[in-house]
Amino acid sequence: MARVHLDDVTKRYEDIVAVDEMNLEIRDGEFVCLVGPSGCGKSTTMETIAGLTKPTEGTVTIGETDVTNLPPKDRGVSMVFQNIALFPHMNVYENISFGLRLRKFDTDEIDRRVEQASDVVQLEGMLDREPSELSGGQQQRVAIARAIVRKPDVFLMDEPLANLDAKLRVHMRTELQRLHKQLDTTIIYVTHDQAEAMTMSDRIAVINAGELQQIDPPLVCYNEPKNRFVAGFIGSPSMNFVEGNLTDDGLTTDHFDLEFDSDGLEPIDDDVTMGIRPEDISLEREADSATSTSETIEARTDVLEPMGDEIFIYLSLDGASSEMMTSNEASTASNQLLMSVDPDTEVGEDESVSVVLDRSKVHLFETASGEAITHGIADLSDATPTASVAPEAESGGQHE
Amino acid sequence: MGAASDSTQTADDEMGPLERWTHGVVNDQEKRNRLYKALFYVAAAFFLVTTLFPFYWLLVLALTPSVRQADWNVSIPLLGEVPFPTPQGFNVYAFVEVFQQVPFHLYVFNSFVLATATTVIVLLLASLAGYVFGRLEFPGRGLMMLAILAVSYFPPAAFLIPLYDAFLGNAVYIPFLDIELFEPPRLVNTPGSMIMPFSALFLPLSIFILTTFYSQIPDGLEDAARVEGTTRLGALFRVIMPLSAPGVATAAVLTFIAVYNEYFFSSIMALQNQPEQWSPLVGGILSYQTQYTTDFNLMAAASIVGVLPMLIIVVVAQEKIVSGLTDGALKE
Repeated sequence: MARVHLDDVTKRYEDIVAVDEMNLEIRDGEFVCLVGPSGCGKSTTMETIAGLTKPTEGTVTIGETDVTNLPPKDRGVSMVFQNIALFPHMNVYENISFGLRLRKFDTDEIDRRVEQASDVVQLEGMLDREPSELSGGQQQRVAIARAIVRKPDVFLMDEPLANLDAKLRVHMRTELQRLHKQLDTTIIYVTHDQAEAMTMSDRIAVINAGELQQIDPPLVCYNEPKNRFVAGFIGSPSMNFVEGNLTDDGLTTDHFDLEFDSDGLEPIDDDVTMGIRPEDISLEREADSATSTSETIEARTDVLEPMGDEIFIYLSLDGASSEMMTSNEASTASNQLLMSVDPDTEVGEDESVSVVLDRSKVHLFETASGEAITHGIADLSDATPTASVAPEAESGGQHE
Repeated sequence: MGAASDSTQTADDEMGPLERWTHGVVNDQEKRNRLYKALFYVAAAFFLVTTLFPFYWLLVLALTPSVRQADWNVSIPLLGEVPFPTPQGFNVYAFVEVFQQVPFHLYVFNSFVLATATTVIVLLLASLAGYVFGRLEFPGRGLMMLAILAVSYFPPAAFLIPLYDAFLGNAVYIPFLDIELFEPPRLVNTPGSMIMPFSALFLPLSIFILTTFYSQIPDGLEDAARVEGTTRLGALFRVIMPLSAPGVATAAVLTFIAVYNEYFFSSIMALQNQPEQWSPLVGGILSYQTQYTTDFNLMAAASIVGVLPMLIIVVVAQEKIVSGLTDGALKE
């Protein structure tokens, strides 16, 4: 058990910067997921911690030791690989005990530890088998046993479940959580699957283009994304974004306006991006009166995706509100919104609908930098209640 | 279906025997399989005869006493007298005489030691080189690989004179500048004078084979070994080499056979054809030939004795060599 600390770690490959001044503080016993799209540098970050690649600049500290220049074997880390990487020329027992044998443990101790580790991952009675005789899930369990048998300070997992089928993946996910509770070891877990990150980790580190975007507990990343990238990456299906302009009276977009008191928000009179998650848009007729709803937005349903437990509706903003747009402002930006509704909602394709947004779930981002301005405009809008009612009535009339 | 076979029937009547046979082979699956099988046996028999006949001839030569090695004709009915080697006696004593006339076992020993030492050195160096070329990215890799392969295209004779000069203990000069570099020890008549050039000459082939094999081992396995507690070198010897066993065996056997059979360099580096001066196996075989006599039966017997260790090694390693030469693929 140990904390892991990355200090200004940069990794450059010739002209590509894989990891850019990464500062990461992972606490003792914490389960941290590194997530990001393919090629964002999360695996390189992991390899830097493991010692498989040396950072171009910066230092890596595990526990109290600066391990930047130590080889992987002296770092007290163990790793589970995406491609499992069991040694094909050794049986399960030899695979699990490989590290212990290299460290010249005595045979009794090795036997005892291998048995214990194989117990934890439920591999009893398979120690004599060859890796090729095992199923994918069993191989993965052997790899995990090999990693825990040495009782490492830090446990690194590089997309360990990526090669398993969907059902097994969900099963192994709970197994890993159980394992983390049982071992209480620091676990750093790389994945591009945000569902894995959301469900398993204490904190999520979202990485894009080699830079750390945000490191926070899963729900904080979900509800209060620091910037537009995190907002779009966390959550599935992802957040809707609409380009607009922040004025004194609120937000103006090509398709609709939201009125609120923008006092204290920066930058006024500048391009901002509004973000709203699909579940925070509702049909006006079904809107929950308890939530502070926004002005009505006219839209036309485009494609419906019934998922069983909910329906995803693609809304086209152009058709319903084209006369409200000035033609030269016809945006290249999103004119589509995705919303999710209850499965028993009666709605058809290519139908005019009025939708409202949940004001408390509206996110505003600075368009230029992508930085978050505010999460939720419910409190702000209370300041100017009269202003917000008027356009609602107006657009409601138009709908009729 | 019935109409078709009817027409074949009538056609059969009008065709000659060869035409009928080819027609049958083309149309009938069973006949075709029979033909393929027959062709396979013919081809296999051809290769067996061409490779095994020399051994048969050696055996006949060895068993036939030297005084009767003049008349190899056999009379075959219709053809008359045909030259074909058949044993003219059964002189097993030749295999004993081989060791009595010259210390042939010492020559075999010399070749064995030279071959083993060279193989070990080549495998060690080629493994390191193969690891570097196969698994690491660095500028100039292709060019260096090309340079190493170019060495193997040089005729060995090109190196002979300068090496002989140096191994005699003469000082080595930079050409044209006459600056003395160093004075090597006198290595002629020692295994060093043979193992060094052999290693250099056979290294490129092994590097090439091992580079191909090592490059196919998934990176994850090496990373896993390193995280588990090996160094890069440890990962090479504990994981990469065992997984490349067919390739390593192929490189080893090819090197071993080449050195075991080598005569050109060693006959010159051993100043006289004596086992004490590290003259090799072939030198031993040739020593049954004197200025006036040639004991063909003893030379043949010595050749057979010399081939035996090779035969055993190849049979043992055969499975791995075959897979090493043909695939070299490894599943992750």
